[in-house]
Amino acid sequence: MFELTVARKHITSDPRMVAFAVLSVALAIGVIVVMMGMMQGYREDIISSTVENSPHLTVEPKEDEDYITLYRTLSGIVWQYPQVEAVSPRLLENAAAKYKDQVKGVSIIGADPLQEDPMMRVSQDMVYGDYYDLVFKKRAAVLGTKLAEDLEISPGDKFTLVRENQSLQLEVVGLIQTGTGSDQTLVYLPLETAQELISQGDVVSQIGARLSDINAAPDISSDLNARFNYEARSWQDQSRDILEVLDTQQVMMILFYVLIFIIAGFGVANTMIMTVTRRTKEIGILMAMGARRSSIVKIYLTESLILGPPAALLGCLLAYVTAKLIEAYPIEVPSEIYQVSSMKVLLVPEFFLYAVIFALLINFIAGIFPAYKASRLDPVQAIASL
Amino acid sequence: MSDDIIVLKELSKIYGNGVEVIALNKVSLTIKAGEFVSIVGPSGSGKSTLLNLIGLLDTPTNGQILLKGIDVSRASPDERARLRNRELGFVFQYHHLIPEFSALENVMIPMLIAGKSKSEARERASEYLKAVGLEDRLKSRPNQLSGGQNQRVAVARALVNHPSIVIGDELTGNLDTKTSDMIYELLRDLNRKINQTFILVTHDMTLAEKTDRILRIVDGKLVCELLRQDDGFRTTELCDLGEDGGKINLK
Repeated sequence: MFELTVARKHITSDPRMVAFAVLSVALAIGVIVVMMGMMQGYREDIISSTVENSPHLTVEPKEDEDYITLYRTLSGIVWQYPQVEAVSPRLLENAAAKYKDQVKGVSIIGADPLQEDPMMRVSQDMVYGDYYDLVFKKRAAVLGTKLAEDLEISPGDKFTLVRENQSLQLEVVGLIQTGTGSDQTLVYLPLETAQELISQGDVVSQIGARLSDINAAPDISSDLNARFNYEARSWQDQSRDILEVLDTQQVMMILFYVLIFIIAGFGVANTMIMTVTRRTKEIGILMAMGARRSSIVKIYLTESLILGPPAALLGCLLAYVTAKLIEAYPIEVPSEIYQVSSMKVLLVPEFFLYAVIFALLINFIAGIFPAYKASRLDPVQAIASL
Repeated sequence: MSDDIIVLKELSKIYGNGVEVIALNKVSLTIKAGEFVSIVGPSGSGKSTLLNLIGLLDTPTNGQILLKGIDVSRASPDERARLRNRELGFVFQYHHLIPEFSALENVMIPMLIAGKSKSEARERASEYLKAVGLEDRLKSRPNQLSGGQNQRVAVARALVNHPSIVIGDELTGNLDTKTSDMIYELLRDLNRKINQTFILVTHDMTLAEKTDRILRIVDGKLVCELLRQDDGFRTTELCDLGEDGGKINLK
């Protein structure tokens, strides 16, 4: 195929043109792959923190009721599902924490550490003290690290927890850091202490469960809903909003990728048009020697396409290095807004495949116009051109 | 198949929309196989237009071109491309070699366009370059060769597909007399040896006078035709010598 011979010759004889065309596509690919990696990392972070920081399955009170009274029986029912690994009845409430002249709104979780820890893996997030202390100490609490900072309170200090007319003096026995926004408001209490605070007797507001297979949650929750009047919800239900936000974000990112593509495409097209203009005479000569218009199209499309793979390779390399750099020097972000504390780049092999497809696609599309333009030249005028 | 390799019948080319410019006005002409023809005339007389039409680079507005007895004046672009590749060879004023390609590669291109294998093309291209005396410059690029050498490469390129006709547009216009003579000798030799047909457009009367048949075009019309006879030329009946006919050594 003489078209390939000619295209190859053009490329090897004009390294500067090649460098510019390849670089513009490589940069686009690098940026896109890193962005995809960041989005992927963020998405996985959000999902894993959502899955890790809330029960996979929750059962809440019946409609018109605020609390679950028969929580021990209900826990037993939840335990009957084979995928259930842990069950913990919990009492969730909002209250105010007061220490010296600082007052903060807090979200309390009253639970039995012996049941809560297997479900939420609280101990893993403890940065000070032992969550199991709450088994023995009833006037004690574990606070989120940010909350403790805001209250300017240290372990061993006593603070006041206030809700409506009730107030309790509690000692800080431990600090917990989940890495999410809840670190600002979280207070773990023994279940009995929480029940005392809300003065509704031996009740809970939620039964949480941990599953061995998180994808089983929707099935179990619909089964429970069919059998009882309690409201069972899977983590997918609870995180629907956040998953939707992630999806919307993805759509915006795709628009962004398309824009980067177009810009890179113009870079390649521009280089190719310049090449065609510079080689007008040569195109005329090839036509005089009998090259068909379709052959001229092939030469310039091939030329443009040949630039694809090196651009993809370079782009991937660029993305990989950038990802490693971001990994080595993490970019901190405010966790209250983003729910995660640092940007993470997660590159999956598919991204590199996409990069190659993208590169070929950009080069192909960008090559069409210049190649067509070249093939429409009038041989007589082309030869006469300077 | 007759001996007539090219027959032009009332061939016209009109350019322009609105203001019409008649570049070629009802030219009729027959060229036989093995003829060595030159086309002369002042600038803008239409000789290059005529050459482009014969070379199937351009299409006539009216009239017919018969190549080996077949009407090609309305052939499709692809068909014309195929005919240019197989039946025609071009040599231009400025060799028009592709600068990135070596002499060998430049000569190979018409064969590669014709779909010949690289090895076959390389072999035949080497033979032709040898025939034009450049066997030791196969790998040289056009910028490493002299004007005359490049023009010889261009001649080899024009001949390599065994065309019926080789067309030259001012092919010695850019060369000194000595080199120009050398190129002419090369063509004349091929004309004698393989009966190759040549049609050359030229300003250079010295070169024209060496050919066998001189066609003079003025204002798009064929005004004079001179045929070689012994050491000089004789005019045909249609000759209107005009202002500079006297330059030709008439018998």
